[in-house]
Amino acid sequence: MQLPGYYEFCNKVKIVSGHHSLDQLPAMLAELKSVKPMIITDKGVMAAKLVEPVKKSLGTKYKAGAIYDDVPADSDVKNVKEIAQIYKKSKCDSIIAVGGGSVIDTAKGANILVSENSDNLMDFTGFGALKRRLKPLIAVPTTSGTGSEMTLVAVIADHEKDVKMLFPSLFLLPDMAVLDSRMTRTLPAFLTAPTAMDAMTHAFEGYTCLAKNPLSDTTAMVAIRLISENILKAVKNPGDHDARLALANGSALAGMSFSNSMVGMIHAIGHSVGAICHVPHGTCMSVLLPFGLEYNLHKTGHLTAELLFPLAGEKVYNETPRESRPRKTIDYIRNLNAELRKATGGKHPTCLKEVVDRDGNMMVPEKILPEIARLALNDGAIVYNPEELNYEDMLMVLKHAWEGIPLDLSKIQKGKVTSKIKVK
Amino acid sequence: MDINKFPEIKPKGKLIKKIYVAIMLWIVGRAIQAASRVDKDVKREFASLRDDFMLHLHVLPAGPGMIVGKDKNGKVKYMGWKPGGKKITLDMQAKNMDGAILMFTFQESTCVASCHNRLAVLGDVPDTCTVVRILNIVETYLLPKIITSLAVKRYPKWSEMNPVRKYLGRVLIYIRTFTF
Repeated sequence: MQLPGYYEFCNKVKIVSGHHSLDQLPAMLAELKSVKPMIITDKGVMAAKLVEPVKKSLGTKYKAGAIYDDVPADSDVKNVKEIAQIYKKSKCDSIIAVGGGSVIDTAKGANILVSENSDNLMDFTGFGALKRRLKPLIAVPTTSGTGSEMTLVAVIADHEKDVKMLFPSLFLLPDMAVLDSRMTRTLPAFLTAPTAMDAMTHAFEGYTCLAKNPLSDTTAMVAIRLISENILKAVKNPGDHDARLALANGSALAGMSFSNSMVGMIHAIGHSVGAICHVPHGTCMSVLLPFGLEYNLHKTGHLTAELLFPLAGEKVYNETPRESRPRKTIDYIRNLNAELRKATGGKHPTCLKEVVDRDGNMMVPEKILPEIARLALNDGAIVYNPEELNYEDMLMVLKHAWEGIPLDLSKIQKGKVTSKIKVK
Repeated sequence: MDINKFPEIKPKGKLIKKIYVAIMLWIVGRAIQAASRVDKDVKREFASLRDDFMLHLHVLPAGPGMIVGKDKNGKVKYMGWKPGGKKITLDMQAKNMDGAILMFTFQESTCVASCHNRLAVLGDVPDTCTVVRILNIVETYLLPKIITSLAVKRYPKWSEMNPVRKYLGRVLIYIRTFTF
């Protein structure tokens, strides 16, 4: 096992998990010495009536000081400022974020402004900008994918300037996260599939990229097992509470893993596909995961092989010869994507050319691939990828992912081979 | 014992390391300036950076360090080791001398140092990616393949850097680095 000479791991989020874990909210607020929380959510969550169990759980002793439900699909600095103003006006003393990654990231951004008593989020962008503890933040995820409830990063866009800003700080870790199966029960199958595959990608990259450590490995392994065993159950039977809770736990564990070990080329390319073509993040991850693992096989084939065990189970792992395990892992993911496509009635894509919007229009035209490749070169995740990628490498991976054709390993420009398993 | 007269104990044994890292930083800083005049890829990478770009690469807590940035005319310049009065846009900090030694003896690449939390970066992520690429190219020029291979993820293939470009560039960069 690889033990780095030095590493850091931090996760101080208290996790409350269960079929009715929201009932603990009053006790959690008391622990955080809060009496007037502000609820931040989006229209979709409101329409699905998912804020109701949160309000009900607050009981009679606590009442939300304000509810903001206008968070867009992509966190925006404008909304962050609006929320901060409402928070101050309503004299709230904590935040409960109810929603997916965008809502939680927006809540993190608003928490910066209210805690620092500022109205300029730009002052706090980049590493090391936050110097002290923020106001209490409780995350209640309604999707099982981003892992934002366990991460120290917020990504917030300034759509007027067309830039996405990164806020990485240990102070952005929520104080508590509530994983309640009721909160993801209404998530439709076509969203459950890519969000869970997003979490799966976090775990795979957390385990195979350069900043891995024994603690991130452990959480990644368990996350993969939970997601793999339950993803099809939850997609085929959305009301399966146990599968929903397992996916929520898998997502949180994957978040804990990658928040400390970071992610690599799959995220670098995925972020750029999302930024240029507005493809949902989870969809990008589902498609790109097997291609990223394939590209790095000569560096991390032995690590990919180890992940066959939590992914496919003991029987498949034992029946597969050692040298075939890396390939088997990748094939298993491709088959899983194909099964998810079948289970969602063709809504889950297996390659980039299959990604369509609500009107059935192709979202990633082939001619835009060079632009995506150029943007991906400046994504921070590339630093953590085991193998180097230049523009030509990015474009080659993107072309294969667009067509859905596995990479030709002989055409990959290889640095020093470090995989302990030779993959043909 | 009078606490006010208690002798201050200073850590020993780091002077040689400090001198070594200071020399290496000076060479790398000067070589980046030289490479920005000689190599087309380094030129292109610097052109993509903001006009007031200023890199401070240093060792915590008290140096040594080096500063490379663009001047008023957009030319890339090595600007010494004192950050005072300069507007740093990208601050790369080796967290301690031992971490810096691993990097500057090429036992650990810039990427791996960052992954192992030995290198902290304050500033824009795209700028950081660009600087990492520039450092990789400069190391390829400055060092023989056997050493550079330890410091970069992938040594450039013929198609990326042919021998004529590499050896001619190496000579020109060394001349420009060590002449004023």
